[in-house]
Amino acid sequence: MTKPVAPQKAHRIALLFNANKVYDREIIAGVGQYLLSTRVSWNLFLEEDFRCRLAGIERFDGDGIIADFDDPAVCEALADCRLPVVAVGSSFEDPAHYPAGVPYIATDNLKLVSLAYTHLIGAGLRHFALYSLPLSNEHRWAHQRELAFGRLRAAEGRTREQIDAEIYRGLSTSAPTWNQAIEQLTQWLDALPKPVGIIAVTDARARQLLQACVIAGIPVPEDVAIIGIDNDPLTRTLTRIPLSSVIQGTEEMGRTAAHLLHQMLHGARFPGRTILVPPVGINVLDSTKHQPLASPYVARARHFIRQYACQGIRTEQVADYVGVSRSSLEEYFRRELQCTVHQDILRQKLDAAKALLVKRDMSSADVAVRCGFKSVQYLHAVFRRELGCTPREYQEREKARETA
Amino acid sequence: MMSPAILSHEPWGTLPSGEAVPLFTLRNAHGMRVSISELGGTIVSWHAPDRAGRLGDIMLGHDTPGEYWQATAYMGALVGRWANRIAGGRFTLEGIEYSVDRNEGGNLLHGGAAGFNRAIWQAREEDGTLLMTLDSEEGDAGFPGNVHVEVRYTLDDDGELTIDYRASTDAPTPLNLTNHGYFNLAAQAGADIKGHVLSIDADAFFEVDSTLIPVRQAAVAGNAFDFREAAPIGARLEWPHEQLSLARGFDHCYILREPQAVNGNGNGGGNGGQRPVREVARLYDPASGRVMTVSTDQRGLQFYTGNYLDGVRGRNGTTYAPHAGLCLEAGGFPNQINMADREDVISRPDKPYRQVTKYRVGVLG
Repeated sequence: MTKPVAPQKAHRIALLFNANKVYDREIIAGVGQYLLSTRVSWNLFLEEDFRCRLAGIERFDGDGIIADFDDPAVCEALADCRLPVVAVGSSFEDPAHYPAGVPYIATDNLKLVSLAYTHLIGAGLRHFALYSLPLSNEHRWAHQRELAFGRLRAAEGRTREQIDAEIYRGLSTSAPTWNQAIEQLTQWLDALPKPVGIIAVTDARARQLLQACVIAGIPVPEDVAIIGIDNDPLTRTLTRIPLSSVIQGTEEMGRTAAHLLHQMLHGARFPGRTILVPPVGINVLDSTKHQPLASPYVARARHFIRQYACQGIRTEQVADYVGVSRSSLEEYFRRELQCTVHQDILRQKLDAAKALLVKRDMSSADVAVRCGFKSVQYLHAVFRRELGCTPREYQEREKARETA
Repeated sequence: MMSPAILSHEPWGTLPSGEAVPLFTLRNAHGMRVSISELGGTIVSWHAPDRAGRLGDIMLGHDTPGEYWQATAYMGALVGRWANRIAGGRFTLEGIEYSVDRNEGGNLLHGGAAGFNRAIWQAREEDGTLLMTLDSEEGDAGFPGNVHVEVRYTLDDDGELTIDYRASTDAPTPLNLTNHGYFNLAAQAGADIKGHVLSIDADAFFEVDSTLIPVRQAAVAGNAFDFREAAPIGARLEWPHEQLSLARGFDHCYILREPQAVNGNGNGGGNGGQRPVREVARLYDPASGRVMTVSTDQRGLQFYTGNYLDGVRGRNGTTYAPHAGLCLEAGGFPNQINMADREDVISRPDKPYRQVTKYRVGVLG
């Protein structure tokens, strides 16, 4: 008599990730894709709130672990783990930083930054900067992205001092220091040569940068083009200027990690093997759709408009400032921007009004005066026509979004 | 709508024999241009715009006809009579055993020492397309049959280069043609293809022996060869797999998914029944934004990551390193003439050869 074949016991695998972040979630999605493609079934252990907790992990009665090693606590907790472990995390310029004894699947920081940088060059920019994060053990990848940026700039002949001036770490994000952080960020932005292309080490950082630009009235992408990293859909919904972003190879990282662990469960070992995963795309949106203006008249006119639109200027004054006839200036605007000078002034005023409504709890009447609208009725009319709502409704909508 | 491309030709260089070789160029309405030579029917260059509209050459290649003549990397070449390998240079057809050129160890590679890639084709313009013809005599490289080959290159305004192959023969003979273009969508000297993201519509591929002859079909599921979901090539080159170690990277034939049955002729093979042309692979370079799709009516797609481009002399004094470019070669299976379904790769007087393969280059984002 033949014994019935026992169904293969499913391996119990712990995924130690903070899957409240898009990066971690996509890595887990990659693990899932791998399992689906192979019909391998693992019993996956994940915290119910998708947050990584390490307490008791040494007593985990399972067969293997895939873990986000960007968190130094994870790295430490698993140092003496007897189960097969596959590490996932940041790449390091210095290989000595990789944990010993485990295979490591890394997002290739040099390629991420280089992709963003190449994209900005392609958009026609000649000045560059990097908006990073304060040094911290949890954000070692941010420092690695600084090193990558430094390398790329050094290859262009920039000196150490010049590169240091192009990198800004700012303050870490916290409610009490938010305003201060934005102010300091604005100062740094003002000091940069324009137009400048800025790489932010994450989308969250890019969003802060965008906000500072809007508040300071710095046009994006004309003066400051911004690209983030992560392609986070949440960030996209929070920015008024749609944010360009580098798409990390997160799903491939998950598939690769799952594949290595799968092999390890069958006896293979890959101590010290590092696999670098390059980015898989760029989501190109408005924040880097920088078009170098061909006509110096248009550039000069827009510079004037940016500064004085809210003082109620008219087309003649702009033409006078530039030193060409009104009709020539209109022709240049039509050709390069597909709009009239008046429309550009109005857009500038509207942007300023929107920023004021959001930044300060200001009444429509005050906003109308501050932004050069002849009357509060006219401000209302413009809002209705351009945004389909009243200034007050706009203010409430944006406030709700920001607090969401 | 397709408008006829503008076709021009200009002098290019000379062969060691002193024979002058011109270069033909197809252009489309958006300034894209593809240059093709009568030497080997070679696609010498393909200038395509990147995301910002700047043209760059996405093909690897050499500078002069003389270098193509002497080179061994088959850059951009039209390969025949038999693309890829025939084990031991032997096959049996109609009861007769044939022994053909063995130019790579004991095997035939890419049509033997005098393959189509070193032949001088006859080019002419026809309605804005470039038509190349070649007569290969019975006994060439040891193959039977007098074979007449016609290959038409068409470039349309959507950036699609169609290579339409037809061949007739006066006796049964194996025929398996392909284009051996090395692509690098970054179009930059020194760039490799590890950052390119690839997908291939195939559930299986051929594992090979140490001489790169297929030995068995294997599923792609759960290993480095699975490109059903797009994946960056650089990461896959690092996945542990003994087939990758053996070939120093990818040099493997994918068994493309069969298209949906058309007119009840599901597998299409055997009697010359033609498969529809369907999209089988997609290649994307995030940095330039260039994206290329490959469509074909063939069953196989050889994916080669330029593993042996070690010190190969390229253009403008550059030297190519391994993975400087990659090939996606549509055709029959390597050594298929010695497989059970050999009939699919045999052309006969009443069963002419036909292949349609399209490379389309555009931008994303």
